[in-house]
Amino acid sequence: MTEQHKVGEVIEACSTDFTAQCYELYRSPALGSLVKTRFELQGTDVQDAWLYGIVYQAQTASGDPGRRPIARGKEAQDEEEIYRDNPQLMKLLKSDFSVVVVGFKEGERIYQYLPPRPARIHGLVIPCTDEEVKQFSRSFDFINLLLKSRLEIPVEELVGAALRSMAQVYEAEKHAFLVSAGKELAGLLSADYAQLKAILKGLKNDAK
Amino acid sequence: MTLDINQISNQINQMVGKIKTGSNERSEHLRAVMAKLCDPDINLEALKRKIAAARTPNWSPAGLVDGLSQRYAAQIAPKDYSVLATDGSDIAADRNMPAHCYLINIGTVYLHYGSQPSAELMSVPKLYFEDSELVIKDPSNPHREQQIDGSLLDIKRAVEECRKLADLASVLPPDETLLAMMDGSLVLFGMQNFPEFVAEELVDKGFLTALNTLQQLSFSRRLCLASYISFPGSDQVVNALKVAICPQQQVDCDESCQNGEPACDVLSGINDRMLFSEWLKVGERSAVFVNPSQIVEKRYGSHQVYFFYLRVEDEIARVEIPQWIANRPDLLELTHSLVLDQCQRGQGYPVALSESHEQAVVTGADRESFWGLVEEALVAEKLPNQISTKSSSKRTRWV
Repeated sequence: MTEQHKVGEVIEACSTDFTAQCYELYRSPALGSLVKTRFELQGTDVQDAWLYGIVYQAQTASGDPGRRPIARGKEAQDEEEIYRDNPQLMKLLKSDFSVVVVGFKEGERIYQYLPPRPARIHGLVIPCTDEEVKQFSRSFDFINLLLKSRLEIPVEELVGAALRSMAQVYEAEKHAFLVSAGKELAGLLSADYAQLKAILKGLKNDAK
Repeated sequence: MTLDINQISNQINQMVGKIKTGSNERSEHLRAVMAKLCDPDINLEALKRKIAAARTPNWSPAGLVDGLSQRYAAQIAPKDYSVLATDGSDIAADRNMPAHCYLINIGTVYLHYGSQPSAELMSVPKLYFEDSELVIKDPSNPHREQQIDGSLLDIKRAVEECRKLADLASVLPPDETLLAMMDGSLVLFGMQNFPEFVAEELVDKGFLTALNTLQQLSFSRRLCLASYISFPGSDQVVNALKVAICPQQQVDCDESCQNGEPACDVLSGINDRMLFSEWLKVGERSAVFVNPSQIVEKRYGSHQVYFFYLRVEDEIARVEIPQWIANRPDLLELTHSLVLDQCQRGQGYPVALSESHEQAVVTGADRESFWGLVEEALVAEKLPNQISTKSSSKRTRWV
């Protein structure tokens, strides 16, 4: 994740999360990955303000809710043939992904709490670079935001996916990163052993 | 209560009863039509002359080209080809609204099949509000003008669809095999109700100029042009059979059949769709016929409209083509196979047309948003934005 390129555009936003449409079909960032979108900090001179979020949901469906996709492959050899024979599908189907907001950056400072304003519609969504992921994950305050979020995905799955995604950029220090994250989780979930266990179980293989 | 369904359901039952009573007679007439279509005694050249000389004020027989009962199987469509289609919708000028304007939304679709498949779908709306756009003026008499609304707006939209098709076809890679498609007829119906200067503007300078562009392109690249009519209601081929069955050497309905029962009555109630549903197998096309429309004969020149019927899975479609396609056997066969391929890809209806319609469509909600935006813009500029009380009563209903 070294190249900074836009993958989608915000089409719906509120203070806690936003939904973006992918520029290319099926090209949504991975579950749990950290993305950013520029936002406006009104009343300040700060030009470089970014909102950070973690991808928690991705879906592909017909761009027109009134037109459901139909089965087309009865005579086709494989899935690719269906797309080859119906090139319009690449334009009629839309991939969206939803992002839970976990903080923002104002100049050089990163805050892991909700920003004063939501993302803007048509804001470009860019996957964070390895360096940005490292900078952001110096603090684990965002885990609390994830645990408190009311999302369609089980929160254990989301926290696990986010930490595994972040751990990838640490290479040799991956184990240390996950151990620190585990300690943070143990503190936050001291009253909910079942949930803690579920998350740690999901991290176990990556921590080896 | 808006529509009393209980009241109408009785009337629907009566109507269905009438259709049922007529079905035996229709089967008989259909048998007579089929028999005439396949009559081995018909002399094609003699029938062509008889049709050309026929005086049939209430109906028009199709012109004949290669025969009546020919059936052609489709060739295999090339793997690599492109299809370009346009379709349009409009928001008509509304005198109850605060600004005088109309809108035409042209949906366009470009699909490329083969080793590098791709698709472009878009819609281009254009607002017409200048005085010169709202009316067509007679260049020889500044006091004569024709408002563009009602059926004239439909014609204007068809012209814009064809113009867009020609513009886009001109910029496509010349090495591609291209099928350019439109929905409906190539004949601009209703034009005879308007003065000559209107026809000059819309038909000669508009529609036919675009067809000229497409014809020119066909000289330098493989280009087919087809206009597609689903579930057609026309009866021009059956009318040609009526001429064939007429015992008079010179068909003249007013002269010969004012009193008594015309011989062609045994073919009544049958249209071309019913005839070719019986005759064509899936994928086959009929012989080619000439559209006898007066406006075509008078104005279309080298773009005389020909047509054939095509059997797609569950229905008969009418495919209209210009003379310059009909006269080239290679392009005619290519048109047949590409239109059929489009239907097969689109669950029975050409996929490019169905997608261009989706791009063009203007819904009731779109209309409301459009007029809302017009009102907002007028208010922002502190301009009068009064709408009629009729319009306002429709928006705010009360009891």
